[in-house]
Amino acid sequence: MFIVDCDCHNYWCSATVLEPYMDGVFKDMFVRGEKTGPRGAFPHGHRPWFHPEGFARHDVNPVEEDDNYTIMKEKHLDKYNIDVAILTGDEPIEASTLANPYYADALCRAYNDYLIDYWLPKDDRFWGSIVVAPQDPQLAAAEIRRAGGHPRVVQVLVSHGAARPYGDPFYHPIYEACAEMGLPFAMHLGGQGGINAAPIGAGPTTFFWETHAILPQTAMTHVASLIAQGVFEKWPALKVVIIECGVAWVPSVLWRLDANYKALRKETPWLKRLPSEYFKSNIRMSTQPLEQPQNIQHLWATLEAMDGENTLMFASDYPHWDYDDVTKLHIPPAWREKVLGLNALDVYSRLPQRVREAAE
Amino acid sequence: MTTRHFACKTADVLRDAPKIVSVSNLSIGIFSLNDGYHALLNICPHKGAALCEGPVCGTTRQTSDREFVYDRAGELVRCAWHGWEFDIRSGEFLVDPTVKARRFDVSVEGDDLYLHI
Ligand code: FES
Repeated sequence: MFIVDCDCHNYWCSATVLEPYMDGVFKDMFVRGEKTGPRGAFPHGHRPWFHPEGFARHDVNPVEEDDNYTIMKEKHLDKYNIDVAILTGDEPIEASTLANPYYADALCRAYNDYLIDYWLPKDDRFWGSIVVAPQDPQLAAAEIRRAGGHPRVVQVLVSHGAARPYGDPFYHPIYEACAEMGLPFAMHLGGQGGINAAPIGAGPTTFFWETHAILPQTAMTHVASLIAQGVFEKWPALKVVIIECGVAWVPSVLWRLDANYKALRKETPWLKRLPSEYFKSNIRMSTQPLEQPQNIQHLWATLEAMDGENTLMFASDYPHWDYDDVTKLHIPPAWREKVLGLNALDVYSRLPQRVREAAE
Repeated sequence: MTTRHFACKTADVLRDAPKIVSVSNLSIGIFSLNDGYHALLNICPHKGAALCEGPVCGTTRQTSDREFVYDRAGELVRCAWHGWEFDIRSGEFLVDPTVKARRFDVSVEGDDLYLHI
């Protein structure tokens, strides 16, 4: 079976690994400026709840920077025969929480150079996501055009915490650049706090697990917005990947969107298809963490309703606390080949032919 | 085989306010547009609301980007319940033309209006 892991986190021991990639005033800020966390932390406006045990698996304990790779190779890539690992970084997507868009952009650029320089050459299985700071879409677009040309970069990544819904025309320069470079636009759970809108509709939650379970609220907003604002009419080939935001909510939101659109299409005359059709052609959801009902049939019926066979892509979320391994993916057996690998090949068009052939 | 039924006087049908008649046990809305009279069954194909009692209106034309072109004023009826928009002439639902409100031919003789059912 050909396996693409769409959410493999490349960690660092300290954000100081970015120092060589920064210069000028932003390097000064990075080296001497105030930090949210301890020395070596990455600057960001921090969320209000903290994981009581820490994010990472407790069997992943890097001491030296290079341990981050060797442990990943041993405990994840080799162990589960992962063919392609799409690296999704970790802290850098939180750059989206900073009020200063210039500093945020400088941090993203430094991270992207570090990714290309340090991580991508380490393993043939690695393909990269470049991170951009959406608070200034023009700067983000420029970064997509600058770093997005690297042949092993396969997507543009932001956090799902955002200052406004991602369909907003404010962000359209980002999609213009993604379309031009032929890169999918992905959002990963995270980026709560700072200047970003509250990820919880009714106000602050209390506990980490409680919060984590309901974070998909933000992804619902982005799905509705991307479709309603006509992003997929303007850029019909653009793929949007939603990572780690749960999936079982998708059918209910699509049902509501379709029903409302049938009554009120006049608000958005640029749409030519039902909202659910845009979802199926342009949006892909990563599996981890897949909902776990007592009766698996309940989940499968739901996945069926969102055409999960074609819209889901496997993700492990290595090395986070709620990691899913390949063998624990609870989807209908007939879908495994597509969900574990083939769907991702359609989205990540830069994965070369050689890899595609291996898949067939 | 259609049969001709007297429906009402032409003067009873106002612009923008369909005349609802009851003919051979059917409730039917008769609309006056600038090209003549049109009739639709007063039952919405969505969930059965009295379709012809909804507002007669126009809508936005399909455009390629953030442009609002108000179009077809007076040529659509918007179901009173959930707002689905139907073309008065064809009975077609704008979002999915395979969904149709049933339409009837109308003819006029003098100031009498007839439905063909
Ligand atoms: S019954 Fe007419 S739109 Fe629902």
